Amino acid sequence: MSYQPVLTARVGVVDPASLKDYEAHGGFRALRHAIAIGPDAVIDLVTQAHVLGRGGAAFPAGIKWKAVNEEHGPKFVVANADESEPGTFKDRVIMEGDPFSLVEGVIIASYAALAEKAYIYIRGEYPQAIACVQQAIAACYAAGYLGENILGAGFNLQVEIRKGAGAYICGEETALFESIEGKRGFPRLKPPFPTQSGLFGRPTLINNVETLINALPLVLYGPDWYRQFGPSDSPGPKLYCLSGRVRHPGLVEAPMGTPLSELIYEYGGGVTGSGELGGVLLGGAAGAFISPEMIDVFMDFATLREIDAALGSGVVMVFDTSADIKGVLKRIAHFFAHESCGKCFPCQLGTQRQVEIIDRLAADRLRPGDLALLREVGQTMTDASICGLGQTAAGAIRTALDRFGYEASTGEFYTFQR
Amino acid sequence: MTAARTLTSPQMAALRQILQRYRGQGGAYLLPCLHEAQAVTGWLDADTCTEISRALNVPLVQVHEVIEFYTLFYNEPVGRRIVRVCDDPPCFLAGSSEIVRACARQLGVDEKGGTSSDGRVTLEIHPCLGRCEQAPFLMIDDDAHGHVQPAQIPDLLGEGA
Amino acid sequence: MPPNEIWITIDGQALKVPPGITILEAARLAGVEIPTLCYHPSLTANAVCRLCVVEWRGSRTLVAACAGTVRPNAVILTNSRRVRTARRTILEMLAASVDLSDAPDLQALLAEYGGDPNRFGEDAARRTFDGVKADNPFYVRDYDKCVLCWRCVQVCADDVQHTYALGFNGRGFHTEIATFFDAPMPDTTCVFCGNCVGVCPTGALKGKREYLWGG
Repeated sequence: MSYQPVLTARVGVVDPASLKDYEAHGGFRALRHAIAIGPDAVIDLVTQAHVLGRGGAAFPAGIKWKAVNEEHGPKFVVANADESEPGTFKDRVIMEGDPFSLVEGVIIASYAALAEKAYIYIRGEYPQAIACVQQAIAACYAAGYLGENILGAGFNLQVEIRKGAGAYICGEETALFESIEGKRGFPRLKPPFPTQSGLFGRPTLINNVETLINALPLVLYGPDWYRQFGPSDSPGPKLYCLSGRVRHPGLVEAPMGTPLSELIYEYGGGVTGSGELGGVLLGGAAGAFISPEMIDVFMDFATLREIDAALGSGVVMVFDTSADIKGVLKRIAHFFAHESCGKCFPCQLGTQRQVEIIDRLAADRLRPGDLALLREVGQTMTDASICGLGQTAAGAIRTALDRFGYEASTGEFYTFQR
Repeated sequence: MTAARTLTSPQMAALRQILQRYRGQGGAYLLPCLHEAQAVTGWLDADTCTEISRALNVPLVQVHEVIEFYTLFYNEPVGRRIVRVCDDPPCFLAGSSEIVRACARQLGVDEKGGTSSDGRVTLEIHPCLGRCEQAPFLMIDDDAHGHVQPAQIPDLLGEGA
Repeated sequence: MPPNEIWITIDGQALKVPPGITILEAARLAGVEIPTLCYHPSLTANAVCRLCVVEWRGSRTLVAACAGTVRPNAVILTNSRRVRTARRTILEMLAASVDLSDAPDLQALLAEYGGDPNRFGEDAARRTFDGVKADNPFYVRDYDKCVLCWRCVQVCADDVQHTYALGFNGRGFHTEIATFFDAPMPDTTCVFCGNCVGVCPTGALKGKREYLWGG
């Protein structure tokens, strides 16, 4: 726990409304350095550091930045701040506590990608975050960090906030584009990928808030500094969202690859409720449950994939043995049914059928064949849905049934004593 | 078809200003325009939507289906204030069911949500509001209320609130 | 110069096909039939029904044959166990939700895949509506039979007519085809071109004469 936070160093320290305060705490040093070394060198840094997208998909950011940089004509940068994954609140904490860092991240990404227009898409349920970022954008225009000929470097950038309107699916990048374009948030078929044809059919660099603010210390301190944190295939500082039955829920910044047990027992102060760990949901509703024996796992993208779990958006949701796990599963199933956009049949129909079966499970009224049916519905959603929502809608439920010793004859989860 | 409604003249004036600002801007400004219009009118009726469609030059049915898609847009009357209670896992573990029950009792509505008979407040059970470290959590319009206790609900949602 | 033919393998059969064609087209060249529902040759392929999914070696998920295009050395299985499970489950879920009595092709497909919609129980939610909408002299809308293939919306919008009378209500399982504030057809921008009736695969849209006298 000797780690010194960098991504959240200013949160709770600076006045989020003050550009002067931001500058006094190192703000816009990264942008000045980026302009000094030029777009190609910035992209090289992101590539060499092997920054993986922090929104959940873990796509190498350098590949996206370079691809958009190499495209011609109008192009866009989009900051994905539609954070709606249950258990996730990291981007909100950044936007409310250090909004200028997001704006600086967007400016650096736009400078590197040679884009002159950027959007910050913030979920509609975050009015405070929207106000903070709006205020930061206005201050940046006034100070010459946005607009024409930024810092005299001959580069222009306009930034607009887009307020979401209550749709989890709009965190999916192509659904988010549809939403900005004034349509229902239906995910598009891929390919084409956003770097070729994204917002308004133009090449688009879309990154999560946390990914964008990773660029700030990276540009200043370089890839070697960045790669000292975490494993080589999944490096950097990481934000973890601790919630549920822990003594100190909240945002934790620690190196990628920090052991889960350290997050729960050292940062989180241990398990509350019965005091005994029942399980952990990693990655949110779209993630996976793991059982107590697995808590020494290293929290990075590659390691978690190996054990059929997911880092996702950094959710660490803790359940003690007395938690009502059936009630939890019921809420997860209803969440996906509520948030399915309805475009593709497997998810549109499967999330509904999943709810019906999980409602029976929660009411101890499972019928013969229900578990096999649930598995087939889940496999079909995972295999045949268009986007990540449907593809992950069965994961948490499947892993809970597998790892918490669900016994159909008694209707009990072995791991949870109630 | 939802019933026709009459906007007050200050509402009409404010709406006209919004539409003037967005005139001819196209679909890319539909969501911002809907947000601003609804902030004035409370909910989006057919006449307002027709004007938005004309101002932005977006098909009528697109305005309609977009409102239908996003849960923060309403094409039916809602309460003057909206309380959104999170009932997803971290809030559930922290007792959100009790919060939902207290809200429903206070407003005289179903625990699945609804609008009080005086039209003052709408209760919604909302997907994760991203305040898991402050569970249980609810929002009243734009105001955040973390670590909320059932005993606070009468004060938060009562007549005088 | 891109090659004018590429090698691919479909169900173990190697063949040369023009690059850039869809998996569906390539399969036809190989004499392999892939079931489809939402796909219509004159319309944009949105791949919403997912009945045409196939297994593509190296791909994490199944791929929709109507929209996915072949690449050199692609190895594709159109009828594997994984593919059949997905198709059967989609058909079962659909039949448990929607009235398919006017969709004999889908019923045949359900039987071919050994699907049993009753697995979900008699209390499984169905999409039902208050009767048939007969609000104009030309056609009726019987949304109990609507599978949400999107074809009617597409022909009404950018794919054909640019009329924009049809869109959606709700989302997820509760999605419905709708007009502006559910207005009756004569009060919408509908020009009664009949294209939507022509492309409906399940009898949800029918000419009034056909509806009244059958056929």
